[in-house]
Amino acid sequence: MPYLNHVAGFLMSKLVLDNVSKSYGPTRAFKNGDFALQSGEVHALMGTNGSGKSTLCKIIAGSVKPDTGSIFLNDCRVQINSPKDARRLGIGTFFQELSLAKNRSVAENIFISHLPLNNYVFIDKTALEMNAEYYIDMVRDVAGDDFTAKAVVGDLRADQQQLVEILKTIATEAQVLIFDEPTSALDRSQVERFFEILRKLKAQGRAIIFISHRMDEIFEISDQLTVIRDGAIVASRKREATTAQEVISLMVGEQTDLADPTSTSHDVSPISDGQFVVTAHDLTGDGFSEVSFEVRAGEILGFGGLHGQGQSAVLRALFGANAITRGQIQVAGDNYDGRTPRAAIRNGFAYVSGNRVRDGVIQGRSIFENTIPVHAFKKHMLLSTPSRLSRRAFEALNKLATKYHSLSSSIGSLSGGNQQKVVIARWLMDTPRVLLLDDPTKGIDLSAKADLFALIRELASEGLGIILYSSEDAELLNNSDRILVFNSGRAVRELSGENRTRFNLYDAAYEVAQ
Amino acid sequence: MTVGKARSRSMSVRVRQACATFPFLPALVILAVLFILNGMFNANSVSFQGISGLFSTYLGLVFLAVGQTYVIYAGDIDLSAGAILSLVNVVIITLMNRYDGGVLSTLMIMSIGVFVGAACGLFNGLIIAGLRLQAIVASFASSIFFTGVALYVLPVAGMPAPMIYWQTYFGSIFGIPFVFFVLGVLLLLVFLLSRTQAILHLLTVGDDQQAAYQSGLPVTRIRIRGYVVCGVFASFAAFCLTGDTASGDPLVGSAMTLSSVAAAVLGGSMLSGGFGTALGSVFGALTIGLIGSLVYFVGTPASWQNLVQGLAILVALMVGILISRRT
Repeated sequence: MPYLNHVAGFLMSKLVLDNVSKSYGPTRAFKNGDFALQSGEVHALMGTNGSGKSTLCKIIAGSVKPDTGSIFLNDCRVQINSPKDARRLGIGTFFQELSLAKNRSVAENIFISHLPLNNYVFIDKTALEMNAEYYIDMVRDVAGDDFTAKAVVGDLRADQQQLVEILKTIATEAQVLIFDEPTSALDRSQVERFFEILRKLKAQGRAIIFISHRMDEIFEISDQLTVIRDGAIVASRKREATTAQEVISLMVGEQTDLADPTSTSHDVSPISDGQFVVTAHDLTGDGFSEVSFEVRAGEILGFGGLHGQGQSAVLRALFGANAITRGQIQVAGDNYDGRTPRAAIRNGFAYVSGNRVRDGVIQGRSIFENTIPVHAFKKHMLLSTPSRLSRRAFEALNKLATKYHSLSSSIGSLSGGNQQKVVIARWLMDTPRVLLLDDPTKGIDLSAKADLFALIRELASEGLGIILYSSEDAELLNNSDRILVFNSGRAVRELSGENRTRFNLYDAAYEVAQ
Repeated sequence: MTVGKARSRSMSVRVRQACATFPFLPALVILAVLFILNGMFNANSVSFQGISGLFSTYLGLVFLAVGQTYVIYAGDIDLSAGAILSLVNVVIITLMNRYDGGVLSTLMIMSIGVFVGAACGLFNGLIIAGLRLQAIVASFASSIFFTGVALYVLPVAGMPAPMIYWQTYFGSIFGIPFVFFVLGVLLLLVFLLSRTQAILHLLTVGDDQQAAYQSGLPVTRIRIRGYVVCGVFASFAAFCLTGDTASGDPLVGSAMTLSSVAAAVLGGSMLSGGFGTALGSVFGALTIGLIGSLVYFVGTPASWQNLVQGLAILVALMVGILISRRT
């Protein structure tokens, strides 16, 4: 246990994870988890995408059961088999995706797991609202006028809902509090208020785990920073003893899986003299704001950053599947204001999603039927002969070296990688202008991934403009010519040439928003 | 012109807000309209006698719809509610015929009926929430199973209920028909239940099951409880229906299952769970009843009655949505 030796007063810790690990099938999400949390500290967890910090939180919160290791609370060994157990042991959790009932009131949500009762049966509405007011008072002046005990949570804004989840977590009055991205939707005054509350809780001796993607916040509020990389805790530092630069270096580690960013495979060789295929200006919508970029013919533009910072939302908006409230798009120099997938397809957009079940594969139908729908749509086909269509489908599938038995086999008979090739082939039957790739390799095995990226590079060299979002940093860094880093729905930095390093990616991803 | 437009917009906003606070409002409006229409075509139907007749016929459906609502709260559904009703009906009829006689034995038999309903609900809850089977299919299967048990208990319809039972149901106390007391008890029950933690937990689970689990709620136990409550209400429904028909019929409830679901939806509950009121389902069930009698009073030929009744329910559903979601 090399790490534990660094922690003074290990035995006096509030919460200790000893050698905890968790695997999902063959992938180890978390290993060698020695972690100690003290009373009266705010302990920040930091790590890149998929590093395991969420898994660690979920293990403590009871929603994930560890495979090995033990958990000690107040030096007693405990089993946390469910969120209910965690609550009983005095662990309160703020869930990133929020654990709110949208049709219920603020007061009901805050106290749902410990409602004040009359005669053990009936809800004491007066007490419920009075208790709720006590917690609402903490944020009243920064939450807005409509933030009342009786307000229905679903009618509130995103930042107000996040405040409800914060109050719900605090109202557990638990000794251990976990806050997983509690500030992502809050404005500055709300964040400051939240930090005031955290400092008070700290002074009362609570032990607090804090996750945020804003480096300035982490350095403002935390006492201890622990860095997780590839499912293992690599370092833990006092705040005063470290810098943002060092933390990011620890997070990204050695870049062994990356190609040399100066290597030739990344040469930007714009086919048509750098002509823009797509230009977006100030795009704003649900989950993203004021995003501007341009894609040249023959170029792969990467969207990077921590998960869920607006990358997918922008891609779906370009394709017309999400609404755009403000901003302009130009396609090949002309203004484009189509706002439906149909219009997007007619204007040469193609969209391949990692969520094949929702956005790609037509379940239970044949490979043939999965290959031809876009072609049929673009050519306004009402009737056609299967033999002629089959020939076209056959060519498109062969070009991608898709492995399949026959065109009439069910799509379900193929591996994930080959299913994705069928989906891409669908778009290539008539050459599109822009290919939008929304985490396209999710759930696909390694060799198929390599095939797909070779193919994507080839398509770019044929003159397509390509936008790639990948949840795997190595994929993104190895395959993009330029990378736009997203943070809180905004494109905060562009990395190109030698700057495309994992360090820069996370330096930007944790940058101060705005 | 613009003033009128602005006023109509603020009006529609107010209507929508009212519907959010009282989800049963559209159902109440539709019910009132139907009531007036009924009176126009048959003055008798709005008389005191007519109304008590309406209640004695449809109280069974009202209870069943209320029970169904609690299951729907949690985002589940119980397609066996009608079969539970049938089973309780034949069980109590058979027992009452075997031990005929006094008030005490009748009450004892009725509590056995409640027990049977609760046991059926528990069975549903265990297979659906406990074993995580699909609610629609699993409760459909258990409805066939319950019907099978009912047919074993009483193979042929027609065994009569003892006189004391249906005379009480159609009787009066202090000049007030007995069914109004039943209705009063139902409304009190609905009111009391709406203030309990158990019902709020059902709504929370239906709102977002994952969120409820993460909040530390025992989701499985809460869903099972919903099915048990529904089974108990199905047995209450069976008591009313037994009073109304005064006989045992192993298949009497099967047609009422989907009516109970429709009544809950008419009353403003969302089938996806998390939103609704039991009071709305009371109005919804009475709406279905009034549509049936209106179709008859208007003088629709017998062979067209189903068609007209179906269309009328569709119209009522659409009107309800138009009132509550007008933008």
